[in-house]
Amino acid sequence: MITILVAVVASIVSGPYLLVNTIITGGMLALVATGLTLMLGVLNIAMFAHGEFFMIGSLTAYYVFTPISNYINENPDSFLVVIGPLIAIACAAVIGAISGIVAEKLVFGPLRKRATDNWVMNSFLLTVGLSVLLINLHQLLFGADFKGIVGYWSGMPISIADVFISRDRAMAFVIAAVVVAIFWFFMTYTSTGMAIRAVSQDITGAQIVGIDIEKIVLLTISLACALSAVAGGSLLFMYPSYPTVGLEPLYLAWFVVILSGLGNILGAVAGAFMVALLKAVTVEYIGAGWDFVVPSFLIMFVLIFKPSGIFGSDVRGALDK
Amino acid sequence: MNSTITTSQQVNLFDKLLDKLCLTPAGLLGLILLFALPLIPPFNQEYMLRWLIYCGFIAAMSVGFDFTAGFINIVNFGYAAVSGFGGYTSALLVINAGLSPWLAMAAGGITAGSLGLIIGLISLRLRGIFAACLSWFFGLALMGLATKLVWLTRGPMGLRTPRLFETDSNLPFYFVIIIMLFFIYLVCKWIVRSKMGLAFQAIGQNMDAARTSGINPVYYRVFNFTLSCAIAGVLGGFYAHFYGILTPDVMHTSKTVEVLAVAYIGGRGSLWGGAVIAFPFIFLMEIIRSSLADLPGLNLVIYALVLILVMIYYPGGFAYFYDMNIRKSKNKMLRYFFNGRA
Repeated sequence: MITILVAVVASIVSGPYLLVNTIITGGMLALVATGLTLMLGVLNIAMFAHGEFFMIGSLTAYYVFTPISNYINENPDSFLVVIGPLIAIACAAVIGAISGIVAEKLVFGPLRKRATDNWVMNSFLLTVGLSVLLINLHQLLFGADFKGIVGYWSGMPISIADVFISRDRAMAFVIAAVVVAIFWFFMTYTSTGMAIRAVSQDITGAQIVGIDIEKIVLLTISLACALSAVAGGSLLFMYPSYPTVGLEPLYLAWFVVILSGLGNILGAVAGAFMVALLKAVTVEYIGAGWDFVVPSFLIMFVLIFKPSGIFGSDVRGALDK
Repeated sequence: MNSTITTSQQVNLFDKLLDKLCLTPAGLLGLILLFALPLIPPFNQEYMLRWLIYCGFIAAMSVGFDFTAGFINIVNFGYAAVSGFGGYTSALLVINAGLSPWLAMAAGGITAGSLGLIIGLISLRLRGIFAACLSWFFGLALMGLATKLVWLTRGPMGLRTPRLFETDSNLPFYFVIIIMLFFIYLVCKWIVRSKMGLAFQAIGQNMDAARTSGINPVYYRVFNFTLSCAIAGVLGGFYAHFYGILTPDVMHTSKTVEVLAVAYIGGRGSLWGGAVIAFPFIFLMEIIRSSLADLPGLNLVIYALVLILVMIYYPGGFAYFYDMNIRKSKNKMLRYFFNGRA
């Protein structure tokens, strides 16, 4: 409620472009944050390397889209003008999912087999190592320079209520909305999605009713990483790919997750828009660069006074240890 | 352990002293080696000395970090930020108030300690990953402040700070950091060996059980945080007055990760593990970084790989390996050498 109020007041005072910014950033943040929430809820992994899958997504999209855009320049009437960016983003999702599976097979799987106690903390530290590894592998293999593109879809910006939104931004929001909708549908209505939710509630219970935990774990991790990679891929025009590009989405996604309660997937979507609004308002009224300070302090207050998040959630007990 | 007690009823003075200093004969030898190191030929060049000082800094940081992470089992993810806060306090006191760098370092420790008091107090209700997140966000906020308060800290342009010694030589700095490392280790070890350390471990393993046995977690947790952050603050002061320049980068999460990696590879809950492992490990990393300059990031790739492998396959780290294999030597002389008599 307060969020909507702030949003309305802010958009009246400083123009609707703030609202548009919020919605676009929020949509993408929702993707990263739902992935993070999924990891937390189902696998009890407090993922520190989630931003790196964002980076993998943007890197893949860059290397897929560059030849496509060269081709488009030569044949401007090709069907790739519309489809090309979507192919790049889809590739990002696939590579993200594959890298998630690789991470599970090489890193989390062995730890799960060996570790018995203190899983949450150990896996968290493991993801810290993974994050450093991926950042520096990127630097080692692809160099530290900015790998960006001018834009996915060229053409006149779309105008809504006196605000000009570039087609890329509009499409980014559309992609985010579609993916979140599909994801929500998948989690709520398909039997696989129900199985994932069952595992997140009670692993032993899920095992008793015959759910293959190994499969669900693999599926979850690949889904979570793919979501993050889609965000990375579709935001390539805003965030060029470089080794540490994932840190900012990571911080923000963690803000979202703390705000909305660990493991609460629908809450994460709402939380993403709140954090995006907070960031937009901070940048607007206090200045650029403060957008870490103010949200950090606010999130700290949430942690202190309502550690289960503003929407509450049940998984906290497992993560308390 | 038992056999040593039966063989010598009265402990001689040397052993008593060693025990008071929390050292084994092997540890003493290591300390002497550290003091002699800058005089041994390959290490007496200035650039190597700079690396060694950085090793010492990370070693001391990892002792302070392990004091929290290894005992009350809370990973202070904003450790580098607290350290940087101490460094900035110290530097600003020297520049604006004309304090001597030595006093300012102590002041940096006190302010960082009070920051630790605050973090300890507000994270009291939180456990595990939540407390880590809180300290992490605290660190992010601090770093954001240091970047944005340009009128005070000059932000990313960097704050020039006077050095501790007026010389160009790095030798005095090296001795200072080794002495600081030793004192930090000593203080932490004394506390850990006392009843308080027992309480820390009880809280770290199971807070509810500890509370049931009459341990007041509030006092112990806050005390632990305060001391660990004060150590970070003093070290941050040293960092500021050694390099002569401070940027908000010293507060970055990646610095915490560096300290964390060393502390965990060394062995959590041992205090000395991180301090011992830091010297060969960080030194090797610096060699790789400087000799393979055309492969940027390779040292950090190795770094992360070692951390991941240790976390999965050998969670006890170097200290566990040492306790299991080297300490239990069959030879009586060697056993004395590695364990001391106490």
